[in-house]
Amino acid sequence: MKRVSSRSKIADQVFLVATGLCASSPILFLLVITGIVVVQSIPSIRLMGWDFLTSVTWNMGSTYGAMTVKNGVPVPAGASYGALPFIVGTLASSVIALLIAVPISLLTAMILAYRVRGVVKSALSIVVELLAGIPSVVIGLWGIVVLAPWVSSSLGPLLTHVGWVIPFFSGPVGTGMGLLTSGLVLALMVVPIITATTRDLLEQVPILYREGGIALGMTSWEVVRLICLPYIKEGMIGAVALGWGRAMGETMAVLMVSGSAINYLPQNLYSPISTMAAVIADQLDSAMTDASHMAVHALSELALVLLVLTLLTNLVARLLVNRSRGTRRAGMGVKAG
Amino acid sequence: MSQSISVENLRAWYGDHLTLKGITMELEANRATAIIGPSGCGKSTFIRCLNRLHETIPHGRVSGSIKLGDEDLYRMDPVDVRRVVGMVFQKANPFPTMSIFENVALGLRIGGVRSKAEIIERVEKSLRMAALWDEVKDRLREPATALSGGQQQRLCIARALAIEPEVLLMDEPTSALDPGSTLRVEELVQALKSSYTIVIVTHNMQQAARVADKTAFFLNGELIEYADTAIIFTKPSDKRTEDYVTGRFG
Ligand SMILES: Nc1ncnc2c1ncn2[C@@H]1O[C@H](COP(=O)(O)OP(=O)(O)OP(=O)(O)O)[C@@H](O)[C@H]1O
Ligand SMILES: [Mg+2]
Repeated sequence: MKRVSSRSKIADQVFLVATGLCASSPILFLLVITGIVVVQSIPSIRLMGWDFLTSVTWNMGSTYGAMTVKNGVPVPAGASYGALPFIVGTLASSVIALLIAVPISLLTAMILAYRVRGVVKSALSIVVELLAGIPSVVIGLWGIVVLAPWVSSSLGPLLTHVGWVIPFFSGPVGTGMGLLTSGLVLALMVVPIITATTRDLLEQVPILYREGGIALGMTSWEVVRLICLPYIKEGMIGAVALGWGRAMGETMAVLMVSGSAINYLPQNLYSPISTMAAVIADQLDSAMTDASHMAVHALSELALVLLVLTLLTNLVARLLVNRSRGTRRAGMGVKAG
Repeated sequence: MSQSISVENLRAWYGDHLTLKGITMELEANRATAIIGPSGCGKSTFIRCLNRLHETIPHGRVSGSIKLGDEDLYRMDPVDVRRVVGMVFQKANPFPTMSIFENVALGLRIGGVRSKAEIIERVEKSLRMAALWDEVKDRLREPATALSGGQQQRLCIARALAIEPEVLLMDEPTSALDPGSTLRVEELVQALKSSYTIVIVTHNMQQAARVADKTAFFLNGELIEYADTAIIFTKPSDKRTEDYVTGRFG
C-alpha cells in the first residue's frame, strides 16, 4: 500500500488553514471595521444622543478653552454635533443622482442589450466600463472646471423657470457649486454601474418572451417596458440600490463640487451642501487638534451612520437581486412543461 | 374576413447562410396549410418571415415578396404586420409576470382598446375560442405560469386571437404537449380555419393529415412539393416527398 508522504500532509494542512483564513477575512474585516467605528463613536453617541441625527449645528467648540462636562463626557465649551445637514446632503445628492442616472442607464442598457451587436456593442460596453474606471478626483476636477460654471450660467437659470411649479427649483443659482452639481457628478459615476447591471439583466430575459411580445405587435419600447422590465424588476431595484450605495459613499468628487456647507440645510436645488463622506475627509485634519478627541468621535459616528446606510442599501440590493434570480430559475423549471 | 398570402421567390439568410432558397407559394384564405419537412429544412424560418420576425434576430435578412391580399407585407410597418399575422410558438410563452387575464388583454391594450367592458368581453371571447374559458374563468387573476403546459399553449392561442388577426402562424404548437392537449389544439385549428388563414408547422404526419387542407414539403430550404394534403400523403409526385412521408428519411 502506498502512503502519502508526511510532507504533503503538512502541505495540505497549511493549505486548509490558509484558505480558511483568506475565506473568512472579508467577514473579519467587516466586523473589525464596524467594531472600530462603533467603539470610536460611543463618546459622541453619549454626548449627543438622537440629537446627532436631528440637529443642524456642527461645532467643535473652542478647542483652546476650558473643558466642560456635558452628559458625563468632557468636551470643549460650545461643542455640539448635529449631522442633519450632512445626512440630508448625502441623501438629496444621491437621490438626484439616481433620478438622472436611472433613465440614462436604462436606455443605454437597452441599446447595449438589444440594439447593437458585434463590434459596436463591445466598443460601447468598453466605453461604459472605462467610465467606471475614471478616478473620482478627475471627475471632481471636471466638475469644478466645466460642470459648475455651466450649471451656474446655463442649466441653473433654465431650471429656475420650473420654480413656479416646484419651489425647490427656484433660484438663486449661485456659483454652481452645490446640490445639483453634486447630483450630476454622482450621476456620472453611478451610470456605468447601473448600466452594466441592467444590461446583464436585460440579456437574461428569455428571447421566447421578447419574441412573444414582438409577435403581438409591440414596438421595441413596449417590449422593454411591458415584458422585460417587469421580468427583471427585482434585479433592477437591486441595481439601483447598488448605485445608490456608491453615490452615498462617494467622497472626493462630491467634496470638490459640493460647496462644503456647514450648519445649513439646502434651501433650493443649487444650495451648497456637504455629504457625510465629504465632511469626514474634509474635517479629519482639524478634528485631530481637539484634545478631548470628541471631534474625531463625532466624525466616527458620522462614518457609522454612513456605513449603516450603505450596508443596508447593499444588503437589500443583494437580497433583491438574488431573489429575482432564484424565483426566475425555479419558475422556469415549473414552466417548462 | 381573412385573405390569402402569396409568397414569391422568398429568400432568407442567417448572416451569409442562405436558409430559404426562393420559396414561391400561395397560402389560401380560410384554410389550414401544413408545413412539413426534416429538422433544419427551414420551416420555422419560413413562417417567421410571414410575420417579419426573422428580420428581428441578429443578421437575419430577407428578400423576395410576401403579399397579404394585395398588400406587400414588406412595405408595411412590421408592427402593423404582426397585428394582422398572429403567431403561436413551439414552446408556450405566456408572459410570466402577468395574470391569465392580462396575457390576453395586453394585445388589446397596446392596440388602443380603452374600454374596460370591451376588453373584458374580448378576453372572454378569445379564451372561449381557445377552448380555455371553462378551465380558467374562476382564476383569471392568477399568474399565467400557474397553468399546465397545455393550458399555457391554449392561452397563447387566445392571446394571439384576441387582437383579431387574419392569419395565424403556428410553429409546432403541440410538440411539447401530451396527447390530450394536442387533440384540443387540433380541434381548435379545425374550428378556427373557417375564419383565419392558418399556417401550421408540424413534425407529426398524422397531425398534418388531420388538420391541414394543403401540405407543403420543405427540404434544405426549398419547397419540394405543395398540394392537397390527401395527395401529399397518398400519391406525392416527388420521390423525396414520398420518402419523407413514408418515413424513409428525416
Ligand atoms: N438563429 C439562427 N442563427 C443561425 N442559423 C440559424 C438560426 N436559426 C436557424 N438557423 C439555421 O437555419 C436552418 C433552418 O432552421 P429552421 O429553424 O428554420 O429549421 P426547422 O425546419 O424549423 O427545423 P426544426 O424542425 O428542427 O424546428 C438550419 O440549418 C439552422 O441551423
Ligand atoms: Mg422549427
